[in-house]
Amino acid sequence: MKFLKIVQVVVLAAAFLPQVVLASSGAAKPPPQDWGFKGAFGKFDNASIKRGAQVAVEVCMGCHSFKYIQFSSLEQFGFTESEIEALAETQGRTKKEKMISTMDPVSAKESFGLIPPDLSLMTKARKGYEDYVYGILTGYLNENEAALVEKVMEDEEVSSAEALELAPVLHLDAQHPEHIKHVLERIGNGDTFNKYFPGQFFAMPAPLADGAVEYADGTESSLKQLSHDVTAFMAWTAEPTLMERKALGFKVLLYLVIFTIMLYAVKRRIWAKVH
Amino acid sequence: MSKLMEWVDARLPITEMIKSQATEYPTPKNLNYWWNFGSLALFMLIVMIATGLFLAMHYKPDAKHAFDIVEHIMRDVNYGWLLRYLHANGATFFFIIIYVHILRGMYYGSYRAPREILWWIGVIIFFMMMGTGFLGYVLPWGQMSYWGAAVITNLITAVPVVGDELVVWVWGGFSVGDATLNRFYVLHFLLPLVIFALVIVHMWALHAVHSNNPTGIDIVDEEKDTLPFHPYFTIKDLYGMGVLLIIYCWFVFYAPNAFLEPDNYIPANPMQTPPHIVPEWYFLPFYAILRSIDFLGSFSKLAGVIAMVGAICVLFVLPFLDRSPVRSFRYRPLSKSLFWIFVANCIMLGWIGYNPADATAFDGALPLIILGRTGTAIYFGYFAMLFVVTAFNIEKPLPLPKSL
Repeated sequence: MKFLKIVQVVVLAAAFLPQVVLASSGAAKPPPQDWGFKGAFGKFDNASIKRGAQVAVEVCMGCHSFKYIQFSSLEQFGFTESEIEALAETQGRTKKEKMISTMDPVSAKESFGLIPPDLSLMTKARKGYEDYVYGILTGYLNENEAALVEKVMEDEEVSSAEALELAPVLHLDAQHPEHIKHVLERIGNGDTFNKYFPGQFFAMPAPLADGAVEYADGTESSLKQLSHDVTAFMAWTAEPTLMERKALGFKVLLYLVIFTIMLYAVKRRIWAKVH
Repeated sequence: MSKLMEWVDARLPITEMIKSQATEYPTPKNLNYWWNFGSLALFMLIVMIATGLFLAMHYKPDAKHAFDIVEHIMRDVNYGWLLRYLHANGATFFFIIIYVHILRGMYYGSYRAPREILWWIGVIIFFMMMGTGFLGYVLPWGQMSYWGAAVITNLITAVPVVGDELVVWVWGGFSVGDATLNRFYVLHFLLPLVIFALVIVHMWALHAVHSNNPTGIDIVDEEKDTLPFHPYFTIKDLYGMGVLLIIYCWFVFYAPNAFLEPDNYIPANPMQTPPHIVPEWYFLPFYAILRSIDFLGSFSKLAGVIAMVGAICVLFVLPFLDRSPVRSFRYRPLSKSLFWIFVANCIMLGWIGYNPADATAFDGALPLIILGRTGTAIYFGYFAMLFVVTAFNIEKPLPLPKSL
């Protein structure tokens, strides 16, 4: 059928075009993670979100708010009423209140140079979505990497061999040792380096580390686990209707597909007299 | 019942109207699936007005609250997320459909005599759709809403003499702000109703001159060449709507943010410009044309705006540029090639518009601005070439069939 052929060509052309461009924005692309809630049949992992809520309240809310989320709405992830009250109390709030940080914006700006953004929509508000948020949380230099940086900077010079060694660690281009040196100098001055932040230097110091939170359910709180859980929590705060949407979508699409097949059959029947 | 209809028909001939204009309306029997997109566009307009009406019941055009209100709709209003995602993705599908509809008209010569006025009304509708889409995108008051509005309204300053005063009048202040949001909301509510009225005139004009068809030739024998609209085209249109709904709903339910910029989930901040401002995808080819005129010094801005507006206005004169004795490109090999170059070029321009102005392709070997200028030349070149190959009989049309 000619109609389908043309559609095919156009779709292929549109899919191919963007791959020609190579100009990248400078930041490394965060590696994709396995999120259970992606895909047509994806579901939120309640246990993970519950752990993530604990991380969010105990760590993130030191500076950030989730202003669209009420503490009491955490009940759906298996928190008891008294647990929620206890969580809210750590921020000086009641369970009926929204999850708003006690840090006032003025002093936040003084300490960090900017007002910490609200996190309710964070996973939807950055290119790369959940992978980006997870990438940022895990994208700070770990102990070994920091030690490597220190070792290289001892003589205040970056040799080309050292540049080659550092480039994959920092996601920088080994062809530009001067740039690497500049980055290392800033790290030495105490600026916060993040592998996945466009611009590499980030206002927020590393918020999470191994064991930063003691999980109520006994899960080992490695940096990766903490980052995964709190990102899953943020995915929920950004799109609390996701499960409802996908469940309804399944019914709607099933109905539409059957209905359309029937319409097509009727169309064939009616047009049979003409063809 | 029939007594009642007789009474009504004596006063308002509804039965006769339905018969002559709908059920028994003679329609060319050889219409292909590209002819579905007119009815699909009408369907999308109704979807947009219906969802928009309910969204309007919850929305507040207030710069302080607009962003939060959209989140309130998404979270607290019953099925608010569905309304908003239907409306936001509806705009995308409305434009996909309208672009196919326009290109179908260009390929089969539907703009040729006696359908010029029908075509012109269509171009006006397209113009107003773009305005409505732009205004609507501002309402969620995210970063892209704000900065998109700032960039586009700033183009008004290119108007000679009164530009600077004009833009202040449009803004209702000295920058995009609360007053701007308020008036944009009012206009976003009004324009679709004007579009709806124009669609009625569009259909009136259509029914006066009747549908074109893939061969582009006139109907010789109504008995043999046409079919009554019902049931043949009602069922074909319904089937098309089913297919559209499957694709549209797939996006609404499974990838509702695929066409939205992540930046628009950041509240508007007049103090912080996003690193890369992009308009919605359906403006991108025109945005690329606007940016491609950058070599005229202080006249660049005005020239860019003229080129961008001209890219749409040139459609008005298309009926007079095409001098071929044959309507349909099916029998016009040269025009057909030009047409597909035009389509490919529009896609390329869209891709250029999506990328930053200083981006390059092929490892820095090809600045996109060069490609953009070439694309702009090809865009307008299509219309010039179409005139040349038809007015000077360069194109030798293939023999036409005697009947449909």
